[in-house]
Amino acid sequence: MLQANTQYQALYQSLASRQRRTPAATGLDKFAVVAQLRIRQRRITVPWLRHQAELIDRISPELRHHTDAALSQRISDIREVFLRGRQDDEAVRRGFAVTREVARRETGEEPYLVQLMGAMAMYHSCIAEMLTGEGKTLTAATVAPLLAWEHRHLHIFTVNDYLAKRDAEGRTPIFARLGLRCGAIQQELQPAERAAVYALPIVYGTPKQIVADYLRDQIKLGNMTSAWTGMRELGNGSMASPAGAPPPGPLVPGLTAAMVDEADGVLIDEAVVPLIIAQSRKSDEMSDIYRTASELASQLTIREHYTADLLRRKVELTRQGKARCAELIASCPAPIWRATRRAEELIRQSLVARHCYNAGRQYAVIDGRVQIIDEFTGRIMPDRSWEHGLHQAVEAKESVEVTADRETIARMSFQRFFRMYPLMCGMTGTAADATGELQRVFQRRVIVIPTNRPVARNEMPTRIFRTAAARWDAVTAAIVQVHATGRPILVGTRSVEASEIVSRALTDQNIDHRVLNAVQDKEEATLVAKAGQLHAVTVATNMAGRGTDIKIMPEAKKKGGLHVILTEMHAARRIDRQFIGRAGRQGDPGSAQSFLSLQDELITLYTKRLGTALANLTSGASGDELSGRSLVWAKRLFKLAQARAQHRDRNMRSEVLRQDDWVEKHLPGM
Amino acid sequence: MERPTFSPFWHRIRSMKPRLRPHVQITRQHYRGRRWHVVHDPTSNQFYRLNPVAHDFVSSLDGARTVDDAWQQSLTRHGDASPTQNEIIELLSQLYSSNLLSTDAAPETAQLLTRGKERAAKRFKQQAIGLMYLRVKLFNPDPLLTFLLPIFRPFLSLWGLAAWACLIIYALVRVFSGDWTRLAAGLDSVVAPSNWGYLMVTFVALKAWHELGHGLICRRFGGQVPECGAMLLVLLPAPYVDASSCWAFPSKWQRMAVGAGGMLFELAAAAVAALIWVSTPDGALIKQICYFVMITSGVSTILFNGNPLMRFDGYFIFADLIEVPNLMQRSQKSLTWLVQRYIYGLKNQRPPSSVRSEMWILVIYGVAAMIYRVFLFIVITLYVLGLWFIVGVLLAAWTAGMWFFGPIGKFIHWLSSSSQLVDHRARAVLTSIAMAAALVVLVGLLPLPDYRRARGVIDTAGKSGVFIGTDGFVEAAHVRPGDLVKAGDPLLTLSSPELDSNENIARARLTDAVLERSEAYSKDDAPAAAVAQRKIEAAQQQLDDLTFRRSQLIVRAPRDGTVVAADPTLLVGAYITRGKPVCLIVDLTTVRITAVMNQAEAAWLFELPEADIAAEIRPVSDPFALTSVAHLRAIPAGQRDLPHESLSFAGGGEVEVRPDDPARRRMKSELFNVYLEPAMVDGVNPLASAPLGQRVHLRFALPSKPILDQLIDRINKTLQGRVNL
Repeated sequence: MLQANTQYQALYQSLASRQRRTPAATGLDKFAVVAQLRIRQRRITVPWLRHQAELIDRISPELRHHTDAALSQRISDIREVFLRGRQDDEAVRRGFAVTREVARRETGEEPYLVQLMGAMAMYHSCIAEMLTGEGKTLTAATVAPLLAWEHRHLHIFTVNDYLAKRDAEGRTPIFARLGLRCGAIQQELQPAERAAVYALPIVYGTPKQIVADYLRDQIKLGNMTSAWTGMRELGNGSMASPAGAPPPGPLVPGLTAAMVDEADGVLIDEAVVPLIIAQSRKSDEMSDIYRTASELASQLTIREHYTADLLRRKVELTRQGKARCAELIASCPAPIWRATRRAEELIRQSLVARHCYNAGRQYAVIDGRVQIIDEFTGRIMPDRSWEHGLHQAVEAKESVEVTADRETIARMSFQRFFRMYPLMCGMTGTAADATGELQRVFQRRVIVIPTNRPVARNEMPTRIFRTAAARWDAVTAAIVQVHATGRPILVGTRSVEASEIVSRALTDQNIDHRVLNAVQDKEEATLVAKAGQLHAVTVATNMAGRGTDIKIMPEAKKKGGLHVILTEMHAARRIDRQFIGRAGRQGDPGSAQSFLSLQDELITLYTKRLGTALANLTSGASGDELSGRSLVWAKRLFKLAQARAQHRDRNMRSEVLRQDDWVEKHLPGM
Repeated sequence: MERPTFSPFWHRIRSMKPRLRPHVQITRQHYRGRRWHVVHDPTSNQFYRLNPVAHDFVSSLDGARTVDDAWQQSLTRHGDASPTQNEIIELLSQLYSSNLLSTDAAPETAQLLTRGKERAAKRFKQQAIGLMYLRVKLFNPDPLLTFLLPIFRPFLSLWGLAAWACLIIYALVRVFSGDWTRLAAGLDSVVAPSNWGYLMVTFVALKAWHELGHGLICRRFGGQVPECGAMLLVLLPAPYVDASSCWAFPSKWQRMAVGAGGMLFELAAAAVAALIWVSTPDGALIKQICYFVMITSGVSTILFNGNPLMRFDGYFIFADLIEVPNLMQRSQKSLTWLVQRYIYGLKNQRPPSSVRSEMWILVIYGVAAMIYRVFLFIVITLYVLGLWFIVGVLLAAWTAGMWFFGPIGKFIHWLSSSSQLVDHRARAVLTSIAMAAALVVLVGLLPLPDYRRARGVIDTAGKSGVFIGTDGFVEAAHVRPGDLVKAGDPLLTLSSPELDSNENIARARLTDAVLERSEAYSKDDAPAAAVAQRKIEAAQQQLDDLTFRRSQLIVRAPRDGTVVAADPTLLVGAYITRGKPVCLIVDLTTVRITAVMNQAEAAWLFELPEADIAAEIRPVSDPFALTSVAHLRAIPAGQRDLPHESLSFAGGGEVEVRPDDPARRRMKSELFNVYLEPAMVDGVNPLASAPLGQRVHLRFALPSKPILDQLIDRINKTLQGRVNL
């Protein structure tokens, strides 16, 4: 009976979340939405939060003297208040005091005042901006129990599976003491195991996993409209399903509350591309076609027959190119080549695969298969493929086996997904430049929480070089120099390719180092654990997607802490800041320096002409490193390129949003 | 134009099994030689036009086949011509939101409700935008039409049309064979306030009759008329019917007949009214009403209904005639497309028509409609302003906001956030700013000549008429037109045999009386002498009188000047009576122009020093003969007397005179007299040889000003002139 009830609840919640669609505000409504938000949440300000934290701090001494039994009593009292939804400001403060005390007893870490402030801001569904190294994990653990009590299920989104698992395991004692169980969704979990995890009150997981599970649920539920009829359709699960099989109902029992770690990364950076669930077509005779297209494409020459736009990943055929295509396709027997438009489309796609997609950047060939590298986290994404024949075109280009085209069966943008949660809050280290968008799209305010301890990071001046080669030389030299002092070094690169260049150079210098990139990220945990030791050199792609706290050994601290070298700028300034933020956490000493070159992708994609002009102007002046006024100009150029890149991403995101709303409005049913 | 085959949203519809709703009807129509299929839902009166390939696709959706299967089938059948996934999605979503498509998915109540709300909101928005054309739905006229159709049925045929034509022609003949100037004279009685009530009722009845025409003809050809109501057309209530079901008629002539139905009925009513008007006595109320019916149908036919540039009857007839459906909407789109394509360089926008000739029609129509709209806006606003100032201002502000600021706001929004512009935004923004800047410079900063125009008449300060002083035969004429005369110079010599004989008689009487008096004296008969004396005096007086009249036989010039206006030599041999004008003696050195100007036109005359105004004169008969003006004098007091008949309507000018003034020189409103003296050319007045009383065009060149200032000034002056603040 109880199980049936739970199942019904899950189904009901899952269907209810489907109905929660708030179309994005357009035009002047955008401003109205923000104004409304401000008025509704006018009392949540930093002074108010501090006052609340101080009030909580006043309750703490009393709790500290409680026996375990007395604390348990306090816990069950406050839990009841939250379960019944009777919580007022006073109860919330008591709740925080209790979780704080539990955290102190179970893990030995007592949340600071600023952490309480952040937790309080999140409880009021804001996004708390706390500098990296201010203990966001603990902050999350302080507020999570309250949210879980209040909303039955809380999803905590982390940047990767490793973090999900680590956090879930690390915080289990706290939650267990409070009578809550938590679990982590991992890539390798089977549906039945997943269902068990989702049934827990607190679930850690990556957005990709949870969104995909939710989408699969929605596909499974199909056109179901009410939970009553749905229960009958699904049958009584407790009797029908054999042990180990996934339950007949939804895996995700509704979307009730969400907490997003690195909120800007998830809600902004990753939101550029919607999540897609695809399945292989049963029959597909297209593989020969893609191979032919690749052959035909190789007979065209750039500029004469086509132009390639690397930034937009688009290829246009010229008039001559079209004529040449017509000649070429005339000799192809397959009927698809008779349709000129489709034929040209295939050839163009093949050219796009040739020019705009590079092994080591967008994908890697592993075991004879083309695997996509996530542009944000730098990880291999197994079982993912590009749509509409692009993947096949890349496979044809790499001369590996051309797989069957996969077709989309469901699609969900992060913007829409996170707006389906009635309660959503988040934490981030760097939300500042995303504040506007977070307010507009997600209707969440960003509250900047002050730091607990001043940052003791020494940021050394950025060095910019004319050529990439010169930059790599300088990077190597810098590593050698710092390495000699014994300090641990973290080198950040943007691509697998770049990490291999650095690795090779270090091998030449006989420096022992470890590489952490998309192709080899199995021993991530051990690598990260060792990165803070004396003499450690770690080369990593896209540390931003890893969000890991590098613990600095005491002896390394004495030498001056971690030294971070950023070898290329990212499209978003935030990601750079996050990376640099690895050094000098929680008041530790540390330093950081950026090494850039005018041949970086950021410049060649966004400010190509200006970049070349600057390189030409400064050639021969003072070697390959820019200095003086040209350095100032180069810095400005990088800023401009970042601004352009962000603008482009913003456009893409608003396009995703617009398409979402359009589809929602104009297409029948789901 | 790039058409990608695949859409990322295909999964949303690929496995759906939709079909057209069972009661939806499809008719074939041909536009400019191309076949189209019109999908029509008679219950909701929704329409959708499909091209043959799309129609093939839609008709293959039978509720059992999935969208994906139907698309694959279309691909194999039509190849490149087949719609892409995106196009299918667009097609299905439009059919779906027009409620023409039913799907196997359970209808989602929330979505249905949202759609209903959105439709209501859209309608409300349209109403708000077209405050000038507010609509109120009243009832379903179907029972009424069903009842009336059998009665009208015989007339709704080609024979009926022929009869209609005969009626119209007969009425025209009757009206114009009579004194049709009374048509113009009647204009005044229309606005007599005592008649307003009747006229309002007549107007509504006439328009209801008009709508009945649409409805009946639509029913006649099998269409449905589900709705009728009233529309506030420029604050006047006007009925309307929804005859849009005629859009599904396969024959364009039938569609046009429905469109023209209203005008046909209305003109028939006008013809009948005209016949009654001709045959009723003046002053009868029925006559005024008939007159009103005639004028209203005429004016509304020309200004609104018959005019293809506004979305009334004429527009639909015209669109069907030239076979361009959705003319207005697509012509606006075509203008947008042109701008986007050639000014902003957006190369992958789809043009609203792929047919070249149709594209031309769309563009030309779009431009014409835009100009007409602005023109109409100005006219209506000025009219309402004059009628009711506050309402006029509000209406003007509202309409300007909707037509001007609304689109500009939308444009800026488009410019700043449209996804079409993603890769062209910099160029688009720069181009727009450059254009706006150019416009500002051109309109707001660049001083341009400011010309004001007026009509005047050639006139003179020194002018005397020559009249015959006494009856007689013209013996000789001493001058011809153009001859220079001095005061007292003989112009004509008359002879009068009657005068001669009268003189003889008078002289004989005098002699008689003198003799009589001498005899009385000799008889010392005092009373008789007194009688004789009186006789003498009387005779003497008669004689003096006759002598004076004799002197009048020589007609002399009353002043120095030139003979103009008539040729005295033509009178030779004629018998003319006293008081008849002979010619004019005019002082040609003082020929000048007299103009009348209303407040709006003349206001600047009193504001600017005379030296700043350069004026030029062009006679109506010879617009290339240019005369400049030396001196300009405006009388700063309003006058009601027209300085010259040729400035009045009857004389060919533009000034309205009061019809109750027998001399027809009393103006309706006070105007200012302005006198202009032409500059001498070689010491000779250049207008000296021009016929007096001829009208001239005047152009005043004011100091150069930017166009914006000029416009503001003109609007100011116009408002001052029209509006009673």
